[in-house]
Amino acid sequence: MVEGGGQLLLIYILRRLALMVFVLWGVTLAAFVISHVVPADPAAAALGNNAREEQLQDFRVKNGLDKPQVVQYAVYMGKLFHGDLGVSLRTQAPIAADLRQFFPATLELTLVAVVFAVLIGLPLGLIAALRHNRAPDLLARIFALVGGATPVYWLAILALNVFHERLGWLPGPGRIDAYSLAPPVRTGLVTVDALLAHDPEVFVDALRHLVLPGLVLGAFSAALLTRMTRSAMLEVLGQDYIRTARAKGLPGGRVVWKHALRNASLPILTVLGSLFGSLLTGAVLTETIFSWPGIGGYATSSAVSLDFPAVMGVTLVAGLAYSLVNLLVDLLYVGFDPRVSYA
Amino acid sequence: MKRTVSASPSAPVSRSLKARTLLALALALTVPLAAGQAGAQSARQTTLVLGGDFSDLITLDPGVSYEFTGSLVTGNLYDTLVGFEGNDLSKVRPRLASSWKVTPTSAGSQITFTLRSAKFSTGRPVTAADVVYSMNRVISLKSPSSFLLTDVANLKVGSVTAPNASTVVFSIPKTANPNIVLALLTFNVGGIIDSTEAKAHEQNGDFGSAWLRDHSAGSGPFVLNRWDRSSQVALDSNPNAFRRSVNIKRVILRYMLESSAQQTALNSGEIDVAWDYTPDAFNAAMSNSKLKALKTSTFQMAYLGMNSAKGQPFEDPRLREAVRYAIDQDGIIKSLLQGLGRKVQTIIPLGLAGSNPALPYSYDPAKAKALLAAAGKPNGFDVDFLVSTGSCSGGVPCQDLAAKIQADLAKVGIRANIKQMVNAELLTAYRAQKAPLIQVAWSPDYPDADGNGTPLADYNAHSLAWRNAWSDPAASKLAQSAAVEIDQAKRIALYKQLTELVVKSGPYAILYQPYKPVVTSSSVVGFVRNANGDVQFEKIAKK
Repeated sequence: MVEGGGQLLLIYILRRLALMVFVLWGVTLAAFVISHVVPADPAAAALGNNAREEQLQDFRVKNGLDKPQVVQYAVYMGKLFHGDLGVSLRTQAPIAADLRQFFPATLELTLVAVVFAVLIGLPLGLIAALRHNRAPDLLARIFALVGGATPVYWLAILALNVFHERLGWLPGPGRIDAYSLAPPVRTGLVTVDALLAHDPEVFVDALRHLVLPGLVLGAFSAALLTRMTRSAMLEVLGQDYIRTARAKGLPGGRVVWKHALRNASLPILTVLGSLFGSLLTGAVLTETIFSWPGIGGYATSSAVSLDFPAVMGVTLVAGLAYSLVNLLVDLLYVGFDPRVSYA
Repeated sequence: MKRTVSASPSAPVSRSLKARTLLALALALTVPLAAGQAGAQSARQTTLVLGGDFSDLITLDPGVSYEFTGSLVTGNLYDTLVGFEGNDLSKVRPRLASSWKVTPTSAGSQITFTLRSAKFSTGRPVTAADVVYSMNRVISLKSPSSFLLTDVANLKVGSVTAPNASTVVFSIPKTANPNIVLALLTFNVGGIIDSTEAKAHEQNGDFGSAWLRDHSAGSGPFVLNRWDRSSQVALDSNPNAFRRSVNIKRVILRYMLESSAQQTALNSGEIDVAWDYTPDAFNAAMSNSKLKALKTSTFQMAYLGMNSAKGQPFEDPRLREAVRYAIDQDGIIKSLLQGLGRKVQTIIPLGLAGSNPALPYSYDPAKAKALLAAAGKPNGFDVDFLVSTGSCSGGVPCQDLAAKIQADLAKVGIRANIKQMVNAELLTAYRAQKAPLIQVAWSPDYPDADGNGTPLADYNAHSLAWRNAWSDPAASKLAQSAAVEIDQAKRIALYKQLTELVVKSGPYAILYQPYKPVVTSSSVVGFVRNANGDVQFEKIAKK
């Protein structure tokens, strides 16, 4: 029985991965078309105001920009199959290396943000559903509304001003203190790298720097999660089998945890996956305000300088991240809800 | 997948345990570490931290680097043959070369440099062969800054020779001015690299450029410790340098794109120098006793370009003059720049020999209107006004500046239709001569009057004059003669003629020459940023 199930699971995963390839191919095509529609010259963008015409032409030839668009796309895809994401037009550095540097920063921040979101949003949503239409419910709904409507950059600046400048409780922008040297890069996650380098001081410093931007991003996501948890739980709690379970005399806690939450978990998981995906693709504004060198900032500067190989690289990474998260969520569905199967 | 009936953890106990752990973790995060403080403090005293928008940094190879941050850092990693000291950009002084002689030759001129005894950070001595290699690689690499040696100094591979280990000879053709060559050599393109080290890291004939992008091999006061893109650049003092850094052992350039973040960090003591203060914040900093607000000079010029081609709105020179009368420069400098700019109307920036401080155009909307009428436009006219997004020269938001210009022009009947676009798009349109009216900035490639003279006045140079479709044979001739004139007095006279000509009939309305506001903590001593953007970190101390 277990083996049969394992085989089904494998086939399902393989099928999803195959589909993912198609999705990512579509993503590259869309990104390519969009970045070539803009009427501006990446050579001028890269070389700046003072560059001469011969230099611009040299640049175009060197980067294959003088060839027809179809050829450029074909060349790009050819390199991609060999794992070569190309070279950034703006920095002339390999894009894979850039992404390897910026992505972990966003990943670290995203993980912390999601943890905060779950720690804040889930309990709030639960309490709101359980104390439906009473004071806690009202407060939770206000939090959800305000949290969702507040511009995240305003919240970020406010948080910095209050918790860092005025109260001095938490450090300011950056992943570590400005006068510290980062540990040698192994994973790109400063906390992990600090541990690997046996540097507890930097480890704690990095953790402390994660709190404020993590909270800002997390609070924003928490608002959404509160609403989703509340509505999903309300729907489930109103079902017949819950009334039956209560009538049978099951303790309240067991009803909530074992029966209600488990059944409400599907929409909550979906939202969580979606949040994780969108956070991974870079919260640009938060990253800018907290001087966080992540994917969001990289994507923005690439887009603004018409650095189309970099834009495509980032889009691919974003597409991959979303697809993988979706796959993970779908796999978790089955663990949470036995009604879902792989057939 | 088999469903297992798992017993869910009984809620009450696990929740309180979780809560206590969370509380402990939260406390640990907010209580500052007392232990490591002492050691960290002394290192802090000899570490200089700068916060700024260093995102223009692309490479630290001195022969390739062409951005502001690149020059700032490479100027401290490498020595040039000659350099400027402090704020004085009028006199070139010895650096790696202890002395030099300029002599005329049949083909032009010759500069003979005598090298001082110096060592690279690698331990190897600096020799004439290293100088030859460094110059030749720039010429061969065809990098964005190569044109300074090839087109302006007219050097080729072989123009620079080493008769012995401590003598270098530059053979310069008639078409180049040895004084300009000396000025060029102060720039990072003249940085001398350890040729042995570069050759050891060569890949595919790149002269070590890929390795030198994020490694250093110079004789300057600092060596590169690391460069984490978009995060920080860290420099350590070089014990072998003759420009030894006594007080500062480490310099960290921390990327902080937002001015507000820099202000916060400076106030909290996390950084010592903030590179990008806005004019408003700068004003506040001036009255803060814990900070030093420095108005550093630049050679930048913010200006309006007016397309003078046939059929374009500004074809008639009287209309261009009208614009110059219509712009309220004092208003711009006072309110938008909060005093962080100088009023200039001629094309050579103040601080360079050859600049002309004359201000022939007073703010006179009535005169502007009269000129419009004389040119056959008594009811004014419409024109598309190309403006960039983001921040413009002097830290002013581009759209604020554009709004002011638009208002000034509207007063005299010129209806400017603002079209905002990203810089890349703006430059593309400008280069294609497709900008009827444009708001941009320019800074010279090298600290010499010709850095502006040729691009702005000579149509044949295919630069700014060309982009505005302004062709004036007299101006071209003056620019070309002044460029190669060796006699200093004659040269200044030529530039006086040129600037007077261009200010009257050229396609530019110069807006201002901005100061760059730099704010440091009051404990920082000896911080000087010259108009070129160079800072000598070895001269700084923290008290």
